[in-house]
Amino acid sequence: MFSPNSHPWSADETLGRHLEKRGVSRREFLEFCGGLCAMLGLGSSFVPRMAHALQSMKRPSVIWLQLQECTGCVESVIRTSEPTIGNLVLDLISLDYQHTLMAAAGHQAEAALQSSMKENAGKYLLVVTGSVPLAENGIYLTIGGRTAKTILEEAAAGAAGVVAVGACAHWGSVQAARPNPTGAVGVGDIVKDKPVVNIAGCPPISDVVTATIVHYLTMGRMPATDAEGRPTFAYGARIHDQCSRRANFDAGQFVTSFDDEAARNGWCLYRVGCKGPSTFSPCPIFQWNSGTSWPIGAGHPCIGCTERQFWDTMTPFYDRLPDVAGFGVERTADLIGAALAAGATAGVAAHAAATAIHQARRRPLPVVDAPVRSDPPAPPAAKE
Amino acid sequence: MSSATAPVEHLPRTGNYRWVQLWGIPLRVMHWAAAISIVVLAVTGLYIGKPYFMTSGEASSHFLMGWMRLLHFIAAGILVMTAIVRIYWLFAGNRYERWTALIPWHPRDIRNFFRQARAYLLVRPEEAPRYLGHNPLQQLSYTGLYALALLQAITGFALYGQYDSTSFFFRLLNWIGPLLGGMPNVRFVHHVLTWAFIIYIPIHVYMSIRADVLDRNSTISSIVSGGRMVRADEAFEDD
Repeated sequence: MFSPNSHPWSADETLGRHLEKRGVSRREFLEFCGGLCAMLGLGSSFVPRMAHALQSMKRPSVIWLQLQECTGCVESVIRTSEPTIGNLVLDLISLDYQHTLMAAAGHQAEAALQSSMKENAGKYLLVVTGSVPLAENGIYLTIGGRTAKTILEEAAAGAAGVVAVGACAHWGSVQAARPNPTGAVGVGDIVKDKPVVNIAGCPPISDVVTATIVHYLTMGRMPATDAEGRPTFAYGARIHDQCSRRANFDAGQFVTSFDDEAARNGWCLYRVGCKGPSTFSPCPIFQWNSGTSWPIGAGHPCIGCTERQFWDTMTPFYDRLPDVAGFGVERTADLIGAALAAGATAGVAAHAAATAIHQARRRPLPVVDAPVRSDPPAPPAAKE
Repeated sequence: MSSATAPVEHLPRTGNYRWVQLWGIPLRVMHWAAAISIVVLAVTGLYIGKPYFMTSGEASSHFLMGWMRLLHFIAAGILVMTAIVRIYWLFAGNRYERWTALIPWHPRDIRNFFRQARAYLLVRPEEAPRYLGHNPLQQLSYTGLYALALLQAITGFALYGQYDSTSFFFRLLNWIGPLLGGMPNVRFVHHVLTWAFIIYIPIHVYMSIRADVLDRNSTISSIVSGGRMVRADEAFEDD
């Protein structure tokens, strides 16, 4: 599709010209634009606009900070079964500073970061993966002797836009799970003076990152976001409502254990703890690894990784409801509820028996005489 | 053995009776609509919480969970309507139905709260204060049920709103998830409160039957007919 090593994207060259030199046909380029427009929920009338914007784009400067993270998000973003234009764009624009992909190291790399921030002040796009540890003055993560908080604040100050990629940059992910020993927080907790777009997920789908960056390059602004700062084009709908197993849910067909007949039939994973009903993500539509598959498609319940605090709130991953603390893992809310209901029934039965015994000891059950007398006795004085 | 201290039911079995109007038609309709919808909500809710039976064959020929959810949502809508009627009737009803009857605020009623609790706990019905409407314990218990229903409605509609992040209920209630620590916790609270309703049913039914049997003053029929026949010579705390 394109030659990976023909020539570098020089600063005065447009993207259209550059792609042409690398062997990308106009048809392929328009296909890419059409796909992205569909992903962003834009009509086909936007395709020429996007194509024009991308074609005439000069090489944008992107600084990619990797903080407290596992590099899984970078793996997700660069992993495709075949190189696509989107992948190429990401590769190209993230060249300035990216720990995993850049060639430079040590002082050279830090110098590249500083000079890029200085040259493109106010214009570069800041992409962040990883959380920011704040405990003990941030000593849990230092790069070149400086804490993650200092590095992020400095880089965000001159950024035109901030994109937080992955659950770590979103809210802290596993290192922010209780008890959060390093005091990890997300990018949005540090950068308050400009909007932060959160590409949620552990890891997120690379196409969402591409689409968000292309939206920024085409429109000159970030896409619309929800209350969590997640782009609504991707995170506007629940997994449950887009799921290929939804028909089985509605029909009442559920997997009860991972080796049963229902699991082999590909029925709904609701009973084995699927968090799809609480999770907003485009996984069923975009899927992973160039649309190969996705967790529920492969028979694993959703763990809700695009939601804040999912390590704490979505666990246990293989049960529908949280455990009841203090009763052990086998004691579910239903067992306790049923026990209390049985207890209440037994209690009222015992009370009824006690009342009956009490009444029987006091007197025989009274009988109302009929007919009513026409001269009633004087009413007894009211109590009190 | 306690005939000397028992001023009330100890009475002659004869005499004049009078009709006391207690519950208006809106309140009675609301009671039975709420009762039916609570039973439907509990049964379908427990199925939705843990689908305990399943269909087989092609998914396209069944809609079990779909019907369960539809029934659940319809019953929830009916319960909300009964709540609206009840709130209106808190201001439009008589003194046994008004908002002033929600909690025992009168010193006499506060005193009777303890007398009533003692009578229940020690199984001494003859020592209980006599009320035409709700006794202080009943007032608190029904007010507690209203609070329970409110929590259940908030968590329920927060869960319902999840189907569409632009829906009215999503926008109205999307603060509840972060407040309780995530939607699974909202689901958990909703589930546990269901059991509170289920536990309430046998207690409520027992107390009603017990009062009807012991006091012989048509407590149960009052929620159908709207009032009670009581002896003309019997004195009540809230007469």
